[in-house]
Formats: sequence, C-alpha cells, structure tokens
Amino acid sequence: MAATLSPSDLDQSSQSGHSVSSRSSNRSLRVAEKERRKNEAEDPFVLALKYFSDVEAGTPVIGNDELDRNLVLVEKVAYSRGLSPEAISVMLEFAMSLRMGSSPCVRVLKCLIPATVVPQEAVVRAVVWLSVGKIPISTQVLFIKWVLTVFDMIDAKDQLRSIYGFIFSFVTEENLCPFICHLLYLLTRKESVRVFRVRKLLELQSKLGRQPFLLHLLSLYKVFCPELVTLSIPSRMRSGFKNHISPWKSALIAVQKRNGLQVAPSVGLTVKEKTGSRKRKHCQLELPALSSVVNKEAQAERSSSRRVVPLVHIHSFPQLLENIHRIELPAQMGSLLGSSLALQYLDCVQEESALLRLNFWLGCALHEEFLCSDGGAVQNSEEALQFLKDLLAAQHFLQEGFSSSDTFLYKFLNIWDGSLLRPQVLGLLSNIPVVPSSQMGRLLFEPLTQIFFTSSLFFKCGLMESLNNMLLKWLTWHSVYALEDDLDISLNSHTSINITLSGFKDSVMELVHFVGRLASVGLQLEGCHSLLLSFVLDFYETVCDTFLKFGLPLVVMPPPGVFYPALLATDPASVDRLAYIMHRYKVNLTSAKSQEKLTEQAFHISRQTFREFNHYVVVMVNCLWNSKMFQPGVDVQLGEELLLRSKVPQHWCRFDLIHHPAFMNYAVDFHQRCWPDRKDMDLSSIKHSKPWSWYLEYLFTQGFDGLRDFVQSNISRQVIAGDGQGDSQPR
Amino acid sequence: MERAHTSVTRTPLTSVVVQRRSKSRSYRLSYRSCLGAASRLGLTPALTARRLNTSRKAPRSHNIKEKVTPEHLALLVKTEWQLFYVTPLYQFRHTQLKSYARQLSAFIAAERQQGLAVEVGGPQNSFKVSLSVVQGMTEADADAETVLIQIHSKPLFASQDEPKKSVWSGLLTCINGNPEYLQSLPKDFTCLPLFGSRGVENLSSLVKSWFQRTFDCSFAPLEISHTSLQWFAALWTNCHTESDIQHLKMLWTLPVVPPLQVTYTVNPHDAWELWSSVRNPSQKKGDGAEEADCIDFEEVMRFMQGLKSHFYRHFRLDLSAGALDQVSTALGSAKSSGKIKMSSSRYVTAILTLLTECALLKMPI
Repeated sequence: MAATLSPSDLDQSSQSGHSVSSRSSNRSLRVAEKERRKNEAEDPFVLALKYFSDVEAGTPVIGNDELDRNLVLVEKVAYSRGLSPEAISVMLEFAMSLRMGSSPCVRVLKCLIPATVVPQEAVVRAVVWLSVGKIPISTQVLFIKWVLTVFDMIDAKDQLRSIYGFIFSFVTEENLCPFICHLLYLLTRKESVRVFRVRKLLELQSKLGRQPFLLHLLSLYKVFCPELVTLSIPSRMRSGFKNHISPWKSALIAVQKRNGLQVAPSVGLTVKEKTGSRKRKHCQLELPALSSVVNKEAQAERSSSRRVVPLVHIHSFPQLLENIHRIELPAQMGSLLGSSLALQYLDCVQEESALLRLNFWLGCALHEEFLCSDGGAVQNSEEALQFLKDLLAAQHFLQEGFSSSDTFLYKFLNIWDGSLLRPQVLGLLSNIPVVPSSQMGRLLFEPLTQIFFTSSLFFKCGLMESLNNMLLKWLTWHSVYALEDDLDISLNSHTSINITLSGFKDSVMELVHFVGRLASVGLQLEGCHSLLLSFVLDFYETVCDTFLKFGLPLVVMPPPGVFYPALLATDPASVDRLAYIMHRYKVNLTSAKSQEKLTEQAFHISRQTFREFNHYVVVMVNCLWNSKMFQPGVDVQLGEELLLRSKVPQHWCRFDLIHHPAFMNYAVDFHQRCWPDRKDMDLSSIKHSKPWSWYLEYLFTQGFDGLRDFVQSNISRQVIAGDGQGDSQPR
Repeated sequence: MERAHTSVTRTPLTSVVVQRRSKSRSYRLSYRSCLGAASRLGLTPALTARRLNTSRKAPRSHNIKEKVTPEHLALLVKTEWQLFYVTPLYQFRHTQLKSYARQLSAFIAAERQQGLAVEVGGPQNSFKVSLSVVQGMTEADADAETVLIQIHSKPLFASQDEPKKSVWSGLLTCINGNPEYLQSLPKDFTCLPLFGSRGVENLSSLVKSWFQRTFDCSFAPLEISHTSLQWFAALWTNCHTESDIQHLKMLWTLPVVPPLQVTYTVNPHDAWELWSSVRNPSQKKGDGAEEADCIDFEEVMRFMQGLKSHFYRHFRLDLSAGALDQVSTALGSAKSSGKIKMSSSRYVTAILTLLTECALLKMPI
C-alpha cells in the first residue's frame, strides 16, 4: 500500500505529519533492505543528494521511482543520523525552488533534520525563494516553522539580519504573519526598529485586532525604542509566542541525543511573566519591572560616545560580563532588586544618583507600607513578607544594607510591636551599618530597650542574635576596611583613618555595653533561662575575639550580670562556653599586649579591662578550682550569718568542679567509675591530687574543650602537680 | 577623644571616597551612608530629626498676579487639589515638556486599551495632554519651576472650534523648599515634592504611574497634619486685615461613641481679635516691618487654645481631645485627608510654601 502512495496523497496528508513520517519510515526500512541487497559500490546517499541537486526542473513526479527511492534514502539518513549542512543546503534548495513542483516540497521539508548546524546561506536562499516561487501558502508556513525550530542551529545570523527588511515584508501575508513576527522577534536588533515598521505593525494591528504575536514583536520594539511605541500587555497575553508543536521537534531531539549533542535550547522565546495580578489599588510593595529609559535625549552626550546596552537585554551572566562597561541602568532602579542578574550588576554600580534613586523608591515604599496610619502591612502581611524577603535577599547578596531601609527602621522600631514580621525586621536590623555612637542611643537603644523588656523570651533571644549579627557585620566591615587602609596608607592622610577608627571603636563599645545591659537585666527577668544565656554567650564569643579575628584593638569584658549567671549556670555547656570565652579573652589580651610592646603603637587596652579580666579569672579559678567561693573581694558576697543559716556544709566548695550543680552529675559518674566498690560516696575524695587530675582528664574527654583551654591557659602545671591550690594569672 | 569624635561626624569624607572608590566602593558607601550621609544629605530624618518650621513669615497679599499669567492663576485657584508627595524626579528636563506630553498621551492611550500598541507621538483620538511651566511661581533660587499638566478630552464628534473639555489637571511644584535639602541633591534630580491632582481618579493613577516609570520617582498621599491645619487657621486669620476671611470654620472629630463631629464657625472679627491678643507683644511692637511678619508656633498654639477654651466655656466640650479635620475660610480650605483649596490667588504662595514643607518632610531620605 505504501508503495502505491501517490504524491498527491502525500501532499494532502501533510497536515498530519506524524502518520506520514511513520509510514515513510516503515517504507524506508524496506527500501533500505533492498538497497543493501543491491550492494552498490558508491555511497547511495551521496548519489541521492547528487540526484536532488542535478535534477532538472519539470521532471515529472508521478510514477518517478528514482525520485521516490532517493527521497526514501534521504529520509532514512535524516531520521537516523540527521543531515549534514551540505545535505540541508541541497535538499532545501531542491524543495524551495519547486523544481519538481510543490508536491515533494513538503515531504523534503519534513525530513530536514540537521545533524549539526544549518548553513545560513541555505536559509537565506530559501527565504528568497519564498517570494520568487509559487509555493503554496501552507508550505510557506511550514518552511517558516522549520526555520523557527532550527533557529538556534543556524550557524550565523548576520545575513539573515541584513535581510530583515525583506523578511519584514511578509508580515502583510495574513497566514504567514504570526510566524514571521516570531522570526522577526528572534532577529530584531535595535537598528532594525524603525518608525515605518512600527507604523506598518500598528496598521496591521488596526486590521487584525489585538493579536499576541503583533503585540510581542511590538513590545520588543518598545524595549529597544520606547520613544517610538508604547503598549501595555494584558496579563492573559503575557505567555509569549506560541510554541508550535512542530513535526521536527521529536525527531530533532532524538537525532541530537543519538549524536551526543546537547539539546538545543528551547525555541519558544517567552516574554517573562510578571507577578500575578494584584487586587490592591496602591501598589507600593511591588517591584517595578525592568524597562529601558525612554528619554535618552537627556543623556545623549554620554551615550553618543559608546553604545549602551539596556539591562533588560541581558539574559545571562556571560552576557553581563561582556557588556559590563556599557550597561544602561533601567528606568526604575527598584527593578534591580527583582532579578539576581541585576543584583550582580548593582554591586558594581558606582553612580551616586543611581543608588539615590533606589533609596528614594525603597524608602517611600517602606514608609507608605509600614509607617502609615492605615497599616497597609498589617492587612497585606503576605505581600509585606515577600517584599521584605526580597529586600533581605538583596541585602544579603550585596552584603550591605540600603540607607533608606536603615532610616526606615529607625522610625519603625518606635512603633513596632516586636511581633509583626519579626524575623524579617530583625534581619533588617542586623544589616544596619555602623551608627555614630552619639546617635545610637536615640536611634537604636531607646526603642529596642522598650521592646526588649516587654516581649517574650523568644523575642529576647532573637534580638540577641540580631545584635550579634550586627556586631559581626560591623567587625567584618572594619577588618576589610582596615586591611585596605594598610595597603594604600600612602594615599590617605593618617588623621582621617585614626579618627574614623576611634569613632568606630566608640560605636562598637557602645553596642557591646548596650547588649551587656540588656543581657544582664534580661537574664534576671527570665530567671537566667539557658536559651537566652546561650544567645548571650554567642554574642560574647564574638566580643572576646575582636582583636585577633577582626583586628580591632578593643576588648570589652562582660558585665557581672552576664558573667555570674554563666558561671553559676546549672547546665555544663554554659560554664564550658564561659570558660572558652575567658580563654579567648586571655589570648586576645596577651597578643594585644605583646603587639603593643612590639610596635609601640598608640592604641592600648585600658588597665581597667585587664583588671576586670584578672578579677574574673581569679573568681573563676577560686570558684571552680580552689573551692574558695564567697571570699571577700568576690562580687557575689553573702553575709557570714546568712551562709551559716543556710546550713550548707562547706559552702565554700559548693561551686568547685566537683560540687558545681552543672558538674555534680559528672563527679558522681566519675566517682563510681573510679571506685566501683565503694559503698558510700565521698565526692571530696576526688579533691586529692591524683584523682583530681584523672577527674579533669575525664571531664575533658566529655567534650568540655572550653574548660580544657581555660585550665591550660590559666592554671600552671606545677599547680596541678601540687595540691590543686593557687592559680596563675596573666600579667 | 571627644574632639576627635566630633570631627568624625563632621568631616566630609567625599574626598576620600573619590580617591578610593575604585577599590572599596561598597564599604565606602556604606560608611558614607551612616556617617557621611548625615552631612551630605543634611536632612536625613532619622539622624537629624526634621521638624516643621516653628516660625514662618506671615502671608502677605503677594504680587503673584504680576508674575504669573491670569490663565495659570485661574487654573490654580477655586478648585480643590488632592495632594501627594513625590520623591525627586530623575532626569527631568523642563525643556522636554513637549516630548513628555507626547509620551504621556501615548501611554494613557496604551493603558486604556490594554493589548493595543500605540505609536508615540501619533495622533491620539481620545485625550490631548499638555505639560507647561508656570512661569513666575518660584520664590527661592533653589526652587524648580512649577509644572502644570493638563488633559483635555476630545469628543469624537466635536466641531473644530468647540473648546476642548479639561478632564484632569495636575500640579508639580516646589515653593520655598528647604534650600539645604534641595542643594544636597545631585544635579540629575529635580525636586518638585508637591503634587496636586484634580479630576478622574483613573487618570491620576495613570499619570502617576507614567511619572514613576519615566523619572523613577514615587508618589504617596500627603496628609495635612493636625499641626499644619492649625497653622492654616492662624495664617488665614492673620490675613483678615488685608482681605475679609468671612468666617473661620473648623471641623473637629471627637473620639466618642458614636463619633461626634463638631463644626466650629467663628466670626471673622472675633477670630481676628483673639489672634491679635495672642500675638507676641515684642514682635508686634517691633520697629522693622520684617520682624512683625514672623509668626511663631507658640502664637498659633495660644490662638488654638483660646478657641478651644471659648468652646469649652459654652459647650463643656474639650476639643483638645479630638482631632482637627478641616479648616476653611473665604481664603481657602484645607482637609486632613490631603485636600486643599485656594480660593484667593493672593495667598497661593504662602499656602504652597507650607505644603511644600510638609511634602519635603515626607521624603524618605
């Protein structure tokens, strides 16, 4: 049956491409077997191509076995391996020139599966044939669809672009128009957008009505030349060009897979979908869409010297890198926050006015949404949340905050209830850059204190974390900045650095003191809750390392309100962390001291700090090691009478490493392991020098690294060898 | 230490910034944004709290009629403007108004018929947009020229000489704007912080959205605060000797259940009597006319207190518990919702000066 299939049938069935290809492949199998039996010396495929390139015009089609045989051969190769560029050229030329009429044309077009690339010349010639020959309109459509399908495989596009006007002339053909528009969309460059083309398309629009294909082409024209055309695309039309389910798609993918080629990127170029439609009237919280600047006359003097590329046209990171020197900022700076690519660029934007624009927009949006009396944010928490998330993501990416969001926050903290969008607001808070110490009280501390003392434990923990992050960012900023100053110190006058450094130190000190006050009272309010204590200790882990980690010659000790709750905590982890923190303080202080001696630099850590540190170490060693709790001179003093009345035996050793509520459980465990036979437990027996050092070893194996560091750096060896009495201190 | 510190906040870091920007732009900027910005954009609200002026010149019947054409003046007065504040316009050129008008009209056409592209500068058949400078409105050197936007409808079957109907107008202005703030802005920005619109809501939002897209600015409603309304009451009363205010009418809302609205109308002479009795004697006696012109906020407060206690004496109702919603005299009216009406062209400048100040206070940075 297949053998008798007449060409006219073929032409009719061209609408249902699948059945044809399956039938033809069936037949091609059979013919191929026949071919192999013939066992020809020369490659039959080459012969077949030769036939198609040499065949004379007007050769009859009906009953032409030779044509059929050769066509089957080409189809077989096409569907299995794909056609080489030369083969594509030959077959396309044969088809479009209509040398044997229009009937084989469709069949040839359908098997034009490129193996690698499509030569541009072939496509250009074929386009020329479009206007010369009398190709049926359905075949013309098929051809354009084919070009669209293989567009990414065309080896170059310059010649195609140079016949842009020629291709454009086909838009008037009503059936071709949608596909021509798509092709033009793919080929359009800025220089191809002309007034007369805009007018032609508008004329078509008035004739055909609102057609998505016209609109999409025009919207691209608008991107290039907003001064020529303007339009607004309704949401239902935003999906871009239709992706025609073309007859080549599956075969193309199959061939490419077989050839191990990467599958060509999808052809359908879609217009980026905007965020869903909004019901609300004032849309302060919407990120504006990226769009190019309309009034370029204003900047003509700048753009004339170099060609600029609007940011809208940049679609990939390599493109961004290529054009980074001549990117034109979008009409609305706020749109940069919406795309990650644009954020990459924002990082290199140096223009002051650009950042100012961004800040104006952001500040206004935040103000209107969160500070206005109608409480937009409360009602639209979903959008507000998304907006703040975007903002935070941008700030996180840029590793710095925007000044307008800072100023907003200074105001917002005064009216914040501490629960609305808490994680986001705390996130913004931690991005606040260094504030002059004279302003900190009014801007930050006053409102924060108020919220802190009236909020739940979890808010307190969150605020601690946020302030810790803030401090970390300040210190990181400083360490980078200070490093650079060292590098090009010759460029700067020394004074300005010194001044800024001292100002910075003041600010950091203010912040640390403030957190110290908050933490002291907070711990008291919450009954020294171990969760809060843990966040507080997080903060001091940052503080104790300011000199060594961040190069800031500043050491601030924790207040007693933090030190004692940690020292007397019931969970061993807190005590261990305190020990670690004290150890780091010591390392920082000693290295600061030695550096001071070495370089004789102007900075010094005040004697008061050393005194405080020594005092704390003495207390710690006395308490944990020497069993001399409640001695005069310690901050925690209880009247002798009171201690007697409490009837706690040997109250002075209640907080040593054995009896400390946090470690008692370890001491008991150790006792059982050490003396498994003993019936009566006498924890004091651990105090003797041998078991004491064993006990310490045991504690260290339990993961109390901070404690180990502390003991190793503060208590000298002889002491351990001795009776466990006395201590050594720095200085 | 202390001395060193004060110089931190004062020292302009710009020279350092320029030098080293190539290297550490980002950190420098963030540095500036916390320290330098305070000095550069001198009025960063959070760092130096901006307040409404506590003293201002008394409005005088101004020779605005000599400076501004009567056509423009006629457009400004007698109708109510809905007020907004606008962040500074980027790359706005007063010389490009014609081209802006073309773009705006194309934009309006495109937005009104979603999904139809519109040629910019092509003939629009529904609206005619025009932008024009109102010459002679500016007061201070730093003020940008006021821009008037008008939209006329084109009836489909109108005869050629039939006058086009004005369907919407808008006003972008800056009168006596704080020079420190205005001069702190880079050259690319034009600050016209006060935007008034009247006409169809739909067109207002289209115009706003075109400005937002074209000049990267933001619009937000400008409410007239309690304090500003009190200022209006005093300023207008102060004009009574020059031009009859006819009445001083105030609308108060008292927070009771159900809400109580009080309309309090004062005879102009009584209001004037009260006003002159609360003026600072030192200033009233002042020899120079300049001094006498200044009105202090204290005087305004005393004036309002006088009005309230008078009301209390008669009705046993303390108005200070409520909120002042509206003030009107024959010279104009102001509403807390951000609506202003200037009935007499003589005091346009004074009113717009106060409103410009309110708008500048709203600037996010």
